[in-house]
Amino acid sequence: MTKPVLIVGGGPAGLSAAHALASAGQKVVLVEKEDRLGGAPILDGYAKLVPSHEWAKDAIGAMVDRVQGREGVDVRLNAQVQSFDGEPGAFTATLKDGTKIEAGSTILTTGFTHFDSVNKPEWGFGTYPDVVTTVQVEQMISSGKGIRCPSDGRVPDRVAILLCVGSRDRQIGREWCSKICCTVSANIAMEIRELSPKTNVYIYYMDIRTFGLYEGDYYWASQEVHKVKYIKARIAEVTSDGKRLLVKGEDTLIKRPVSIPFDMVVHAIGMDPNVDNMTISSVFGVDLNKYGYIAKQSTYAHLAETNRPGVFVAGAATGPETIDDSIAQGQAAAMAALNFKPAGKVAAE
Amino acid sequence: MPIHEKSLIRKENLVENENLIIDGVDVSGHWSTFITGRSLTDYNDDMQDEIAALPGGENIHRCWQCGSCTNACTVNAVNPEFNPRYWIYLIRLGMEEELLRDKDIIWQCVSCNKCTYACPRDVAPEGVMKATAHWLELKGHTPKSPSTEFDEEFSGQVIKTGKIEESRVIMNFFRRTEQPLAQPWLVALIKGLAFRFPVFYLMRMGMAVVRRPRTRNWAKSRRAINEYVQEVEAANRAAVGAKGGH
Repeated sequence: MTKPVLIVGGGPAGLSAAHALASAGQKVVLVEKEDRLGGAPILDGYAKLVPSHEWAKDAIGAMVDRVQGREGVDVRLNAQVQSFDGEPGAFTATLKDGTKIEAGSTILTTGFTHFDSVNKPEWGFGTYPDVVTTVQVEQMISSGKGIRCPSDGRVPDRVAILLCVGSRDRQIGREWCSKICCTVSANIAMEIRELSPKTNVYIYYMDIRTFGLYEGDYYWASQEVHKVKYIKARIAEVTSDGKRLLVKGEDTLIKRPVSIPFDMVVHAIGMDPNVDNMTISSVFGVDLNKYGYIAKQSTYAHLAETNRPGVFVAGAATGPETIDDSIAQGQAAAMAALNFKPAGKVAAE
Repeated sequence: MPIHEKSLIRKENLVENENLIIDGVDVSGHWSTFITGRSLTDYNDDMQDEIAALPGGENIHRCWQCGSCTNACTVNAVNPEFNPRYWIYLIRLGMEEELLRDKDIIWQCVSCNKCTYACPRDVAPEGVMKATAHWLELKGHTPKSPSTEFDEEFSGQVIKTGKIEESRVIMNFFRRTEQPLAQPWLVALIKGLAFRFPVFYLMRMGMAVVRRPRTRNWAKSRRAINEYVQEVEAANRAAVGAKGGH
């Protein structure tokens, strides 16, 4: 394929696909709507990543570095695709500023959007300043300012992390498990305990899904080494007694209602489909699945394919995904794009 | 009008005022019955650490609440209220008030260690029960258990003389636990001995009670043992007392 591959989105999946294609000698155009590459881990200021414990700015930063400025990789920042026409093997993407890009195929690595906790008002986000999200805690850690209550800057004695905020919730149309929040919460809990050992961390859960090898390194390490406590309860509401936050729910293991004071409450927010997915769907002519993510064609035979030949997808654009799996999928999509032969045409050798 | 479901409500949560008039209406007696909230309102953040610091409690943080211990438990088979799994949960999360409700059952663990073998996480629940009973004692929630009294009498004699004198252990144990010395089984035992035991041995036993023989050159050992015991006891006290707040 002589025409470049268009990659839409410069997060872990897009960076991985770009690197793989460039390494194989394939020209790439990487379009990113923000002013820098890196995706959520960089744009949202993540702290240490699962499972490597490397800082996001180092780990994902290195992925950016090996792509940016590399020969054969044309990076367009602050750019969005407005229309996408043509045939497989000969697509033309028009950016919002009118620039046209010729591409043989394209890979959508458009990622996800963090759940907005305002949509669960009973849990106090937006009402009480000391109710924050996992993303905010990531930023507290990565900024080096430490764990502080936003209201008055004090170090909290007691922090509650509520799992499944914006996940597994039929009431708000989000029936999926966001897959990463249990592990991320255990990771954050350990970092809080390390940064301020006097802070006690309690995690309220319905199920714990620190799947695979995270069982030992996150679920148990958080309890055995860092003394993080797990309480089986789905919290009903977060209010305030005027001084501290009051977390109310039922401890289902002892069948008793609880109404416990906390200094800080952290929402372990889930992964929504990218808010732009409707637009992306219509611009690129790709179907969305019933949850609103970009639909994959087949699990087994045609990895990374969408319903439209020549348009591939990878990473959290397809559903809640971990960073390392997004990276693997980016490479899979790169391989699919490299091998792509438009129907009825002989691929240029 | 009685509240039919009273049996389902904990007694201490039912409140009734004998004499109460609200806005001129007499609501004395059962008319003023109300039920106080049963919400748990706080965690004791230190409880797990304190119990983990006592001998036997070290692995409590490993528990994942599977219930293997309770299922294996000898005492639970007799008394369903005896539930190690539940207490471990309460301790781990610091639900002190809840645990104290069961303070008079926890010490009943018979140390059969079936739970120790059943536990997939190597929590050693038997040790946790021991540490918990110990914690309740150290915190003053429960008096010394009869077995602690026995152990103290027994080890006290060993430390003092290097030997134990059975009749003295028994006598002092009954005195400490305020039980009559004339226990029927003991009377029967002594009678049996008096009639059937060779006179020579009976005389030796009698002499031992009076003379209290000691192990030779015991002083050095006693000093070492006492030192160690004091060290351990100080550590235990520090474990439950050093972190204040309750």
